[in-house]
Amino acid sequence: MRALVIDDSRAMRRIVSGILEGLGYETQQAGHGREGLDVLEGGWLPELVCVDWNMPVMDGLQYVSAVRSNPAWRSMTIMMVTSESEHTQIVRALAAGAHEYVIKPFTADAIRDKLALLGLLPQEVVL
Amino acid sequence: MTAMDTGERRRTGEARPLITELIDETTVESVAQEAWISLVGEEELLVPLPGEPVTDPVSSWVDVVGPWTGSVVLTTGRRTAEELTRALLREHSPEVLEDEDVADAFGEIANVVGGNVKAALPGSSGLSLPDVGEAPAVRNPEDVCRADLLWRGQPISISVQGALPPLPAH
Ligand SMILES: [Mg+2]
Repeated sequence: MRALVIDDSRAMRRIVSGILEGLGYETQQAGHGREGLDVLEGGWLPELVCVDWNMPVMDGLQYVSAVRSNPAWRSMTIMMVTSESEHTQIVRALAAGAHEYVIKPFTADAIRDKLALLGLLPQEVVL
Repeated sequence: MTAMDTGERRRTGEARPLITELIDETTVESVAQEAWISLVGEEELLVPLPGEPVTDPVSSWVDVVGPWTGSVVLTTGRRTAEELTRALLREHSPEVLEDEDVADAFGEIANVVGGNVKAALPGSSGLSLPDVGEAPAVRNPEDVCRADLLWRGQPISISVQGALPPLPAH
């Protein structure tokens, strides 16, 4: 399975990608929403996108709306991974089309549990 | 004093709360500790003790804009910021750290701590992208909630400080 990790912090991209690779994902990274759209437009279509909220150029909420406006990308699961933890903001992200929401700081187990709920754990690590 | 004066003063107080009325040091410490466990490492403890003043300080911060407006500022020594960066990057840490690597990692810690401090404040607020460099000046010493911590024996301070000068005294 493939996952795209979008975050303006390189350190955070490495942390999230490391967790996903440990679960068996093949990953690509992007530094903001616009770069994340470029990856999809280039034809690399992941099953999962983990996207930050606060980013320059195009933020996570704009990214979610852009992805959801393209029917060809409808099957992608979007998980927001962000330090934005206000309830009203979470509701906005879910309304825009995100499936799940993970608040930074998170643990590897928290990500794994959310993916299990979404049925997105690669086969070999399902217990 | 008339009843009207009192009402006026109360309304002013509600419009401009001081950070010390909204959160305390313990909240800031526990937000920071959670961020450390997640980002830096599971065994990484922050000890609530002041250290020696840092000689070569570097700060990272995010701005919070809402019912309370100010910054969440982390300050530590340059060497400690580099050590934090290596801890975050783990096996991906380059042999020679660039300023950009430190700004990225230390800035993201400010983003995570700042986001969670913001969540502890009442009402809805916006959060800026992180910045790294010389800490923004304290505008009102009364509008500061500060936690002094030690990480691996080195001092790190977290200052939640208002962006506005004190209201003129009557
Ligand atoms: Mg970000």
